[in-house]
Amino acid sequence: MKSGYAASLAVIAFGLAAAPAQARPVSYPGGWTAMQMNNGDYSSVHLHYSPTFQDSIGLYSERNWAEDWHFTGLQYNRLVKRWNETGSQANLYFKAGLGQVDRFGPGDTDLAGFVGISADWETRRWFTSYEARAHDLGFDQSFRQSARIGVAPYIGDYGDLHTWLMLQVENQPESETPTTVTPLVRFFYDVQLLELGYTPETDRFMANWITRF
Amino acid sequence: MKNTLIALGLATMGLAAPAHATEPAASESDQTGAETMTVNVKGMVCDFCARAVTKVFGRNSAVDTVNVDLDTGQIHVGLKPGMTLTDAEIESMVKKSGYAMVSIDREAR
Repeated sequence: MKSGYAASLAVIAFGLAAAPAQARPVSYPGGWTAMQMNNGDYSSVHLHYSPTFQDSIGLYSERNWAEDWHFTGLQYNRLVKRWNETGSQANLYFKAGLGQVDRFGPGDTDLAGFVGISADWETRRWFTSYEARAHDLGFDQSFRQSARIGVAPYIGDYGDLHTWLMLQVENQPESETPTTVTPLVRFFYDVQLLELGYTPETDRFMANWITRF
Repeated sequence: MKNTLIALGLATMGLAAPAHATEPAASESDQTGAETMTVNVKGMVCDFCARAVTKVFGRNSAVDTVNVDLDTGQIHVGLKPGMTLTDAEIESMVKKSGYAMVSIDREAR
């Protein structure tokens, strides 16, 4: 029992000490967000609308080059809990998607879905987050998780160009390279967020982009 | 395909117009004795936060100007002449933006 409790604490601690790419999957009421993620193993596009600051719904499409499938469907994101503190903010999100998947071949589609959680903690200097997502593709199941830690070398005002230096650890147990480490730089200007990174283990580049309107 | 998606994202970045820290722009009502207030808020840490606040406050017909100061965690709000907002209305807008209100300091311009 004690070891199980300790393991749970370790998982939570790891989660809170890390960070995912889609750390802010909801916006302000009436806000739209476009997210594009590319890391060499998969590319995804997510366009969503937030009716409240706690919910968003939109289209999600992911082309998974490593596992040879393409998912297209609807994704719902829910801010389960936000902790607003003086100088910091922490969030816990739930995500779910439902759609169809094809295996890069004509006439070969299945009903597919995924569920995920993500958490983040951020100050104007430090950033940590964690994300886990499980897919049921009909013909296969997969799981991946990622964690990040980041620091801002300088603190800018609203409207300035913000720069973050980050380190991402990603784990996909069924991948040829299950665990990868990606140093990246995040540029954040107004409502535009751009991330560029490189993963030495797989010799792949990362390019993520988020905008709000 | 991968390169196309990356190029599309990078190209679109250049098309989006940046928002200003103040919206809508200050008007001639500055000289008419309209009320201003400073709202102290917890949880605002990034430009997405500031953007949410300016959007939510900016939609209120009583609001003339909105300035967000991330350093101090304050929202500086200027009202239109003759307009007012109750504490409950202000707190509702802060909450709707996703943050937590601490206090309100009011003054006349």
